[in-house]
Amino acid sequence: MREEETFEDLASLFAAEDRALEAKPFIDEVMGKVRRRSMVRKTLLLAAGGAGAVVAALQVPSLLGDWITVDNTIVTAISTAQQQAGILASTNPLWLGIAALVALSLAAVTTMERT
Amino acid sequence: MRTDPDLAADAARGSEAAFAELVRRHQARVRGMARRLTGSASAGDDIAQMTFLTAWQKIGTYAGGTFSAWICTICWREFLQVRRKTRPEIEFDETAEIIPFDKIGDRSASQTENRMDLSRALDRLTEAQRVCVVMCVAAGLSHREAAEATGWPLGTVKSHVLRGVEALRKHLANAQVA
Repeated sequence: MREEETFEDLASLFAAEDRALEAKPFIDEVMGKVRRRSMVRKTLLLAAGGAGAVVAALQVPSLLGDWITVDNTIVTAISTAQQQAGILASTNPLWLGIAALVALSLAAVTTMERT
Repeated sequence: MRTDPDLAADAARGSEAAFAELVRRHQARVRGMARRLTGSASAGDDIAQMTFLTAWQKIGTYAGGTFSAWICTICWREFLQVRRKTRPEIEFDETAEIIPFDKIGDRSASQTENRMDLSRALDRLTEAQRVCVVMCVAAGLSHREAAEATGWPLGTVKSHVLRGVEALRKHLANAQVA
């Protein structure tokens, strides 16, 4: 709430002058500029987005090629790890027990941990 | 009727209709303020336009409070920017008591424009008094809002308003007698 004096007599004189200003041309001009700016912004965003999409689309073939290589590498690594774990377990079953213990501990910690 | 904060929230979501309603509601206050600060109708309307365009860009930063204080603060900053560009040699001195307000732009050109009734009386105030009277009496900001907008101490604003109003009344009375 305002506590200070508002000088109503002078304020009403100023307000009368302000009311006399023609609003429509001013509002139209401001909103015209707002719309033009919005249009320019949308056009720039669409152009930048389109250019980015084209560049991304051009990269897809090489990306897929790289993924196939990565995919093969992962599959090979997993099968090799399985083979090595099998060999390790057959030579000394104690390793299998240790691995099981570690896995169980990790599972317990993961389950108890709050996300 | 929808409140200014509601309209501002809609405008922040991209509603041009909501922003147009805000412009309709506040254009008179902002144009009046800018015209009185510059002393020129065309320069004032240019500043008022820039004010609303800046408000459209920054509408997302409006965080409640009276919308009129927010928009008048933007108007004040736009005025200062124009002032710095056109008259970089003049530093604003809110303590000035004897410096007459120097209009932006061509004085003879501004004389041909439709001048408002109180402009002559406002011309005779010191710059700081004029700013405080325009903000607190004409634009309807509280002293605190004007102090926050200008960055001047609250006591300074109060003092300029009181002295400015007193001088304004005196000049208006003299003009009526003459």
